[in-house]
Amino acid sequence: MILNEEQQLFHDAMANFFSEHASIDALRRLREEPSKTGFDREVWANLVELGLAGIVVPEEHGGLSFGWLGLGAIAGASGRHLSPTPLLSHIVLAQELLLNCGSAEQVASHLPALLSGGEVWTVAIDGGRFFQGGDDSVNEVAEGRLTGRKVLVPEGEAADYLLLPVRRTDSRLGVFAVPAEAEGVHIEATRMMDGRQYANISFEEFDTSDGEWLEGNSLERGWELTLNRAMIVLAAEMTGSARELLERTVQFLSEREQFGVKLATFQALQHRCAKLYGELELAESAVLGALSAIDHGESEIAAKASLAKAMANDCFTLVSSEAVQLHGGMGVTDEMDVGLFLKRSRVANQLLGTSDWHRNRFAGLAGF
Amino acid sequence: MSIQGLTPTPVSLQQYQTMTEAHDLEQFRLQLRSWLEANCPPSQRKAVVQSEQIWGGRQRQFPSEDARAWFEACRDRGYTAPDWPAEYGGGGLSDDEARVLKKEMKQLGCRPPLYDQGLWMLGPALLVYGTEEQKREHLTAIARGEIRWAQGYSEPGAGSDLASLKTRAEDDGDCFVVNGTKIWTTKADEADWIFCLVRTNDQVPKQQGISFLLIDMESEGVSTSPIPLISGESEFCQTFFDNVRVPKKNLIGELHGGWAVAKELLKHERKMMATVGEMAEKPNLSLVDLARQCVAAEEGGALGSSVLRDRIARHLMREQAIERLAERIFIQGKAGQSDARLPLLMKYLGTSEIQAKDELVLELLGVEGLSMDDPSISESNRKIVKQWAFDKALTIAGGTSEIQLNIIAKRALGMPSAGDKS
Repeated sequence: MILNEEQQLFHDAMANFFSEHASIDALRRLREEPSKTGFDREVWANLVELGLAGIVVPEEHGGLSFGWLGLGAIAGASGRHLSPTPLLSHIVLAQELLLNCGSAEQVASHLPALLSGGEVWTVAIDGGRFFQGGDDSVNEVAEGRLTGRKVLVPEGEAADYLLLPVRRTDSRLGVFAVPAEAEGVHIEATRMMDGRQYANISFEEFDTSDGEWLEGNSLERGWELTLNRAMIVLAAEMTGSARELLERTVQFLSEREQFGVKLATFQALQHRCAKLYGELELAESAVLGALSAIDHGESEIAAKASLAKAMANDCFTLVSSEAVQLHGGMGVTDEMDVGLFLKRSRVANQLLGTSDWHRNRFAGLAGF
Repeated sequence: MSIQGLTPTPVSLQQYQTMTEAHDLEQFRLQLRSWLEANCPPSQRKAVVQSEQIWGGRQRQFPSEDARAWFEACRDRGYTAPDWPAEYGGGGLSDDEARVLKKEMKQLGCRPPLYDQGLWMLGPALLVYGTEEQKREHLTAIARGEIRWAQGYSEPGAGSDLASLKTRAEDDGDCFVVNGTKIWTTKADEADWIFCLVRTNDQVPKQQGISFLLIDMESEGVSTSPIPLISGESEFCQTFFDNVRVPKKNLIGELHGGWAVAKELLKHERKMMATVGEMAEKPNLSLVDLARQCVAAEEGGALGSSVLRDRIARHLMREQAIERLAERIFIQGKAGQSDARLPLLMKYLGTSEIQAKDELVLELLGVEGLSMDDPSISESNRKIVKQWAFDKALTIAGGTSEIQLNIIAKRALGMPSAGDKS
């Protein structure tokens, strides 16, 4: 649960980079000048150049085999700065899905473009109001024909390639890969309140010969594995954001004076902050436990992923609401960054499952 | 393991050492398991009820012959105090080995071989602050279960504001003369010795005039009186000192330097209390099984009430997160990269969660959970109710949750205190 020296160095370099090139100011600029991508392509190219894309990819596939604990720390650093990058969609969701569900030939033919940053890939998961672990919203309605709609696809408009789960005609799970520019892929950009770009994507009698089915051995398992890993990395990003916000809040209380004293001297406020800190370290511990579990054989990984995501959801939601309140009037101004954290927390909360969904899964896994 | 070509993967010295260590630890685990299987009688592998706990001391009485055999087997190997040095009656185990022992005992359901506050609290503080002579005299007697200890910290007028304590120890040649009273002294009426904080100077700021004394309860002038609690038990006593003469060799640490010893000891008390759930009398059923019994379960074992299911899941998940936090603290310590803020959270989080569980269980019992003594209620349910009431003390004893939050705000978050009195 602690970083080795190499992971620490890599984390430090990445954290520096986020702070200089992908900070909250950068998010504000992206927000004000809506670009098609929702993230800065030059920043992304630099991150890929630094080796970020291949960080958890096995060496035999041209990656760094750096370990998930290392990636989690970097996700946490990006969370501190609310850096909008395709870290989750491209590096975790798409690359992992390709590796876990693709045949050796498919991995060999596509992975290099992902690792080099030549292409941006994403995965379309949700079809309805809530995350359901991947649902049947896009179906193979007849042999070779897809119909249905996906929502909240991260980087859905910028991506060059889309992966999505599809219910096949024989009702098995299929994982379909399609170039975004293929005719008949209808992409409608949506901008959510976290300032990032998502998309609704629909297919109407789409001809599957314009894409390809992933042909690995165990699609169900690969899909599950990918989602669990993504939940854990997103949870790591969220605890990073919550930590930054709690630190900023304590800092604010230590500077702001009322009644002739610093707000931080009031016990009522101290106890609230101390409780938030407890929730933060609990969530972080759940996240670190889950990350190192991926690195060590992934036993009971679904329960650990649900523990991490549920704790991170509840922690970030609570910390961000409390941060607004503790900042007083300033907390509801757009000038302060607090609101950006608040909004991101609610979007991240829905991505890859709310706490209700995860507690329900956890209880099911525990047999009750 | 992959073999690329014919060249074996080079192994660094550090990796080699780690591998060797892991191998040794695995060997230790295997030996330990067969020793535990051979020496821990089956009756000592069931959830322990209070009347069957093994407490040490001059009045020591074993609840059963099996309990005696289990205690003696552990005592002879130093497993009553696994991580203390062997020369003081401990097991001389490394941190890793002690952890393996704990895990293996938990796995087999072995009961703790000895219960004693000297073991949990005084011992670890003596290892830091005791002289060689004091360590030899007291640690061995603790580890061997020969002397049972009580804690004399709080006073009727000094609870959360512990440093305002007034029990006085006056210098009288080769002795101190102690006068005053201590409260919440756990099982003082059954203890042989008591470790006390006493005032040796009232002319200086309050923390700087306190000393740490060990007092034999058989000394002239010591008396105790039990305090009935809301659980119907009398775990705690008030203890009175009336001109009690205490030899100066029983002073631990510097004269007037008792506060440092007290804080070291409190660290262990809080650590112990954070995990008190593991030592407490366990109901025979897990929370989930109890829920299945008390409310209708659907086919396949899912609970009929989705609200209850969610509440139980929430509790179990928090429990697991607390375990991960404890593991994180351990791993950091082992690597020499401790984050000193994290241990400050354990008592507050651990005891709060135990109470949350107690509340869930009590509610689940319904009308069966409304009495501690009525014969219409089964004995096991009455015990659960008593445990619920008893556990209310967990967030008070050893520093209240409010004091813990003060400490977290100040030391973990760096928030300034208004009057700076903690």
